[in-house]
Amino acid sequence: MNIQTLLTPFARKRSAESLSKDRSKIRVGIPKVLNIWNTHQFWIGFLTGIGIKHTNIIFSSNTSEEQAREFGKGRGTVDCCYPVKAMSGHYGELIFGQKNKINVLLSPLIYSLPSVLNGHVMASNTCTRVMAGAESIKSGFMKEKNVFEENGIKYASPYLTLDDRIIIPQQMFDGLKDIFDLSLEETKSAVELGFKALDAFNTKLQKQGREILEQCAKNNKPCVLVLARPYHMDNGIGHEIETDLQAHGYPILWMQYFPTDPDLMNWLFEEDINSGRIKSPFDISDVWPSSYSSNTNEILWAAKIAAKCPWITCVIRLSSYECGMDQPTFTPTQKIVENSGTLFFKFGDLDSTKPTGSVRIRVETIVHYVKKNSGSIIENKLKRIKTKWPLE
Amino acid sequence: MHNKKQENSPSLICGMDVGSTTCKYVLTNENGEVISKFYDRHNTKQAEKVLEFLTRLEKEFGFTPYRDKIFFTGTGSGIIAPKVGGKIIQEVVAVAGAVEKMHPNVRFVSEIGGEDMKTIFFSGEGETKNKQVLMQAACSGGTGTFVEKTAKKLQISSEALGQMNYEGYTLHKISSKCGIFAEADSNTLLKAGVPVEEIIASLFEAVVYQNLASLTGGNTPFPQILLLGGPNLYFKGLQQAWRVHLMKIWKERNVALPEGIPVEDLILVPAEAVYYGAMGCIEIGKNETSTSGAYVGSSTLKWWIEEGQHEEKKKTGKQGLWETAEELQSFMKEYSPENNELTEEEKSEGNSCSFVKEFEIINTELVEKNGCASINEKGELTGLEIDSVQLPYVTGKPSVDKLSRVIIGCDFGSTTAKAVCISPETREIVFSCYALSKGNPIEDARALFREVKEALKGGEIVGVGVTGYGKDLLKNIIGADCAVVETIAHATAGFHFFPDADCICDVGGVDVKIMILKNGTVSDFRLNSQCSSGNGAFLQGVAERFGIPLETMADEAFKAKSMPILSMGCGVFLQSDIVNQQRKGWQGQEILASLCSILPLNVWVYAGGLNNLQSAGRKFILQGGTHKNLAVVKAQVDFIKAKVPDAEIVVHPYSGEAGAIGAAFVAADWYQEQTGKTEFKGFEIIEKLTYKTSTSTDTVCKWCTVNCQRTFIDVELPGSKGRQWSKVPAPEGWERVIVNNSCPKGLIEDAGEVKEVKTEIERIKNEYPNIADTVREEAFGRVTV
Repeated sequence: MNIQTLLTPFARKRSAESLSKDRSKIRVGIPKVLNIWNTHQFWIGFLTGIGIKHTNIIFSSNTSEEQAREFGKGRGTVDCCYPVKAMSGHYGELIFGQKNKINVLLSPLIYSLPSVLNGHVMASNTCTRVMAGAESIKSGFMKEKNVFEENGIKYASPYLTLDDRIIIPQQMFDGLKDIFDLSLEETKSAVELGFKALDAFNTKLQKQGREILEQCAKNNKPCVLVLARPYHMDNGIGHEIETDLQAHGYPILWMQYFPTDPDLMNWLFEEDINSGRIKSPFDISDVWPSSYSSNTNEILWAAKIAAKCPWITCVIRLSSYECGMDQPTFTPTQKIVENSGTLFFKFGDLDSTKPTGSVRIRVETIVHYVKKNSGSIIENKLKRIKTKWPLE
Repeated sequence: MHNKKQENSPSLICGMDVGSTTCKYVLTNENGEVISKFYDRHNTKQAEKVLEFLTRLEKEFGFTPYRDKIFFTGTGSGIIAPKVGGKIIQEVVAVAGAVEKMHPNVRFVSEIGGEDMKTIFFSGEGETKNKQVLMQAACSGGTGTFVEKTAKKLQISSEALGQMNYEGYTLHKISSKCGIFAEADSNTLLKAGVPVEEIIASLFEAVVYQNLASLTGGNTPFPQILLLGGPNLYFKGLQQAWRVHLMKIWKERNVALPEGIPVEDLILVPAEAVYYGAMGCIEIGKNETSTSGAYVGSSTLKWWIEEGQHEEKKKTGKQGLWETAEELQSFMKEYSPENNELTEEEKSEGNSCSFVKEFEIINTELVEKNGCASINEKGELTGLEIDSVQLPYVTGKPSVDKLSRVIIGCDFGSTTAKAVCISPETREIVFSCYALSKGNPIEDARALFREVKEALKGGEIVGVGVTGYGKDLLKNIIGADCAVVETIAHATAGFHFFPDADCICDVGGVDVKIMILKNGTVSDFRLNSQCSSGNGAFLQGVAERFGIPLETMADEAFKAKSMPILSMGCGVFLQSDIVNQQRKGWQGQEILASLCSILPLNVWVYAGGLNNLQSAGRKFILQGGTHKNLAVVKAQVDFIKAKVPDAEIVVHPYSGEAGAIGAAFVAADWYQEQTGKTEFKGFEIIEKLTYKTSTSTDTVCKWCTVNCQRTFIDVELPGSKGRQWSKVPAPEGWERVIVNNSCPKGLIEDAGEVKEVKTEIERIKNEYPNIADTVREEAFGRVTV
């Protein structure tokens, strides 16, 4: 990184002219996988910021067996992580499955992530397997011959530490300057637009989450919280298990967008802070001292929320097949949630096929318990918090 | 042993390939010319076949001990080769050796065998030539057995199968992963009227797909292609399937094909395709040291076939299902069902249900009867008291006062329908009956309620719970108060009898269900759906093959003092493993014992995906038809205790009725909590239910290419919305039940209903938002700030 930084002064001077660069014809494909699922708007904001038309930003479709069969077959790498393995289908779809060919395939190497817990945890790194996923999948398309080149596609893969916003313009510039013929200046302002878009989107969804909670509080009704990695929102990875519950009449919150308004956070964690158990609502050192992984940290944090928040009467845990990052969190999350009397159900070992039969039966089973127990769960949890719900 | 290599005399080299279904040999003279080759099916008698070959080679071609050489390859060579002085060449090395010699331009080899498959990718040239090998032999998906087994069921001879085509047929989806499921899929297709030609073509498709999907490891099969092994050589259709798939891949990936060569010539299927392993042995063997692979004659092999292998049997086997007579007795004392469960005989006698008898004959695959209800062969085991569970259980002539007010629980399963009556306050089970399913839930319900009515003699019904297939529709039709999902029903019944239960393991004839209970809820539920391993149907099939009746299966298994070690996993391979063990001299009862002993492993690990049994808890309830077999129960107890030393294992006393009992208990909860009156429509109305069935081209399921011929049963039910939008309209006041579908999708009538259902779901979704919906809908769209 330092070497790159040093080299920059020797790069061609082009800031003045590139402001007028016409990038309106460039079509950029982004595989909709892994941590793109929580950085989505950053990419759109950035790309439109450098003059790419929003209609020319193409995300691959959701993961599906058909996609893998048609576009990913035989490109696979030996990887036990299904969400990573599924990437080859996304790459293939962007390369071969577009009517209007793409010019750039953008698949970042995301080393760390923005997180509401930043500053309260040791680090917000991504899973190494997930970060390197882009590289290993790429090799499936380069092994025998360069499929990207053959199809006139530039492969772009900037390395990013998204938890450190100051360094991002440089990292984006280093990774993308040759692809889009960028200047550092315009990269800077586009990155700013990217974060602005991402922040705005996150805020909007947190607001939606708060509205759900307010409705629940008002009507004394339960809701369900999903503990999962962001890409479990992909229909082909998480198999829409939570929507089956939604169809039974329960609003669904996702941990990624849990409202973090100070009044709510204080209400939930005041006692723990006063007792010295934790330093802030975002402090998870009481349950997870080695807090290095972003998604994992958030899962533990959300488990604590679920244990406190009265209207969350049921937690759904989604986990992909043999996920090494999830493995050590299973017992702690379950214990944290269940000790509060909240219902906890795990759907583990998810891979390409949705076990429709057993999911249907499990969802009906869960609904039975949620229906039966929610009233008393809400009551008991409300009793435990001494102060009054802030927004009643 | 002297190894006198006779100088100056001709030295012959024999390559012997001992595969899973056939043996092949190739013999070359000192100039490397092939002087004899042959292949034959060994019908699991590998050693015998090799001996036969060697005898012929010695007699007819002068293959001479201590002068000539022999090299072995193939899965069966391990035991045989050392007995004749042969050296073993690894299979892939052998095949690759032959290919490199004979086809320097080949880039991709697929060798499909009876029970294994491999691919070899060659890259680079000359010195830098590399090969990458991928193989699998753990699962039948993609192998020759996969096709042959199903073809056999469809009564297609091997000759006819070889000539059947792939091209030009409509392809159907057949599970490419598991041979037993492929067979089931094929059955479904056949029942749905799909021509066998299309089924076979679909099987070829599945084999090629499975090979390409699991054995390419990111490589592209570049021309030239070499297809080897029996299935590739003898099944014309398989060759066609390869051609179609490879051409598609080449087109997709812009693979430059050499000009002027017809595509057919890029995919080679040599006439000697089955001999490549054997020929490779010779290729590799030629460069071996002079002492390597020196043939020592066949006398040791002959001795081993006649005597040695039987002695070995004793050494390789293990103790039977029990060690000491005391151990078996104490097991029997604890688990014999004699004292707390009625035999099937008593049940049907008690209820004198003619309906049951009528259908018992037809439905031979009845799951609930799969297994041994009684082990009571040794007189001394009868009359033992079971102290763990003693439950009242009344059928036939229940006391009238107990039947004056009851709650009914019904379980409508796919093979049987059961009902129990419980007393609302004491929850005592006062009556039970069952009927074999006719495939029409209305008729099943009628049959059940007739029985109940007979028993109640005018007693009052204060609540009804239903569980099982079609519970939601039946709830409306019979007027049940609760539709109970099966997990809840089983857990409720389980908790009632064993309040500290942690895990329910239900092994039926065709499925394995594991329910993990925590904090009074069903926290996890595993339903085996990917692999047939571990179910009871397999056990039953093997017992049938040995001519052992189901009733005495456990007794027979307990008679075995030792048993062979069978491999865990794929049912298809287990079958051939069994034949193999049989050949070693193991008897039917010993093999059955072994099958029972590996069943728990298959149930928990292979089918249930539970590697850590500790995580399931310590109190286990075994239920389902297969657990009526005490040999299985013994194996389960030993298995579970080995993993969870302080485990407590009980067999559900009313295994078959657990669902119905649970439904009744849930209804009893409802009865105690609510003040409402039961919705039960009454016997008269159920008896008089008006329904009409339609089976026509309009009721065919269009959700997939299987096109199940479904039946719509419309029941008159005041207040129902009807289905005016349907192709087979149901007027207002009629409720539709769909049957004869082979998967849950078929329960939805057609796109029209999806629209109806979707609108309703959309309405609910708008009312109850899901944050992820917003992400899915908006996160990848335009930036709005």
